[in-house]
Amino acid sequence: MGSVSRILSLPARLLAQVPGLGPVVQAAATSVGQKILMAVTGFLLCGFLVTHLAGNLLLYAGEERFNHYAESLHSWGVVLNAAEAGLLALFLAHIGLAISTTAMNRQARRHRYAEKDSKQDPTAIPGGASSWMVVTGILIAFFLILHVTDMRLKMNPVVDYEAAVQDGTMSEFRAVHLVLTSYATSWGYVVGLIALGIHLSHGVRSAFQTLGISHPRWNGLLDIAGQLFAWVITLGFLSLVVLAALRSVS
Amino acid sequence: MSGEHLSLTLRVWRQDGPEDPGRFETYQLDNVNPHMSFLEMLDVLNEQLIESGDEPVEFDHDCREGICGMCSLMINGQAHGPDRATTTCQLHMRRFRSGDTITIEPWRASAFPVVRDLVVDRSAFDRIIQAGGYVSVNTGNAPDGNAIPVPGTVQETAMDAAACIGCGACVAACKNASAMLFVSAKVSQLAMLPQGQAERTRRVLGMVTQMDEEGFGACTNTSECEAACPAEISVSHIARLNREYVRAALTAG
Ligand code: HEM
Ligand code: FES
Repeated sequence: MGSVSRILSLPARLLAQVPGLGPVVQAAATSVGQKILMAVTGFLLCGFLVTHLAGNLLLYAGEERFNHYAESLHSWGVVLNAAEAGLLALFLAHIGLAISTTAMNRQARRHRYAEKDSKQDPTAIPGGASSWMVVTGILIAFFLILHVTDMRLKMNPVVDYEAAVQDGTMSEFRAVHLVLTSYATSWGYVVGLIALGIHLSHGVRSAFQTLGISHPRWNGLLDIAGQLFAWVITLGFLSLVVLAALRSVS
Repeated sequence: MSGEHLSLTLRVWRQDGPEDPGRFETYQLDNVNPHMSFLEMLDVLNEQLIESGDEPVEFDHDCREGICGMCSLMINGQAHGPDRATTTCQLHMRRFRSGDTITIEPWRASAFPVVRDLVVDRSAFDRIIQAGGYVSVNTGNAPDGNAIPVPGTVQETAMDAAACIGCGACVAACKNASAMLFVSAKVSQLAMLPQGQAERTRRVLGMVTQMDEEGFGACTNTSECEAACPAEISVSHIARLNREYVRAALTAG
């Protein structure tokens, strides 16, 4: 246990050596500090979602256009690899913080109530999704493993990439199409994306509050913006699954 | 309002001491006057228990007028019972119906250990206040009323934060047993006023560190605390605490 936490805290201890950062690293370790880091990593992951969806919407523009986008992205070489490593680090940081704060929360109430009720307006949306952050987070994590296996490593055993390679039609567009029209896999995508929508429907709004962005005049708008962001992103990705299904029928 | 008396079944948490595992006991209470407060109803139960030679139920209370924050009870899964902006001592039995079963539990939080029955030890809150340190004020004559200008809206918001009675309902209601609403009220009331500026940075860092040390959970921004708070403290103070914390983390010596 001791050596595990020593290894996990290594990045933090190295950062603390940078002049001026010592007190910041120390402050980041508290419950409030960890939540602020969760909000920052969550927002950065949201930034990734925007660029990722924007690129993928080129699937609507057809095979040639999408393959061209994929090739130009791949031509970045090591820069792309560095970005991927950064993205992985963001996910690991966000998940690590999730585990740490969730453990804190469980410890804080070892003895549960026999009966527990809420005084919040039951129709208010924010209270609902906030109880599902861990569950939806775990679903997203599983989805990410599936997704990287499918699209990045092209190693999903239920997708027949080989046939396309054999008949010479293999391309980035073709691979995406094969993955999204694989019955079992497409349901994995639907479940994963809905989990993402629920996660973000609380997460985005929560992150504003955690970062101290709150004002009576703007809070109503932030509520709407959070929901809008969550479901536009989710429906955007879901529409690509539907698009692939429609194309395979026609 | 009819004067009809109520018959109630009470499921009460009984625990002989901090180490006792505890259990629920069920009591039947008839002839409950609907005009009684919840605490008076418990007084009647205790008289009945004493008469029959049993130990009375221990519960905390002091002012019985909604200002001291002692009457900490979880009633049917709600901190201070079903009403908003109400302490247990201000809850009246007319809120219940004859034949109801009422479950009464102590606050549940690792940082609030049960002392006995429904009484918990909330001294963790006192230690958080202490960790906030002192406020530098000049001794001597009281300053002139308007010597220190404070805008009306700021004054009002600081007063709203100062309305916290430290009852612990926020912790009790939170799914993470987080003390963020309490701490944010205590940080806000001083951070907003000129008198609180000198120790502003040190205060927020000290209080948050102590809050963690006491074993309270982190904030998921569920706002259950705000709904449960008898003093109606707003979660906007939690946003202020977060801002104060970032500011302090970046500028502390
Ligand atoms: C694309 C992926 C993801 C995005 C965009 C995202 C975004 C966010 C955002 C914005 C927050 C709110 C920060 C705050 O608490 O104020 C959050 C919270 C959280 N996330 Fe994620 N997240 C993602 C993936 C995950 C994964 C894979 C997990 C895995 C276990 C996870 C677990 C959590 C938990 C437990 C919380 C906080 C619950 C709480 O408030 O206590 N998230 N997320
Ligand atoms: S007894 Fe003082 S607030 Fe209820």
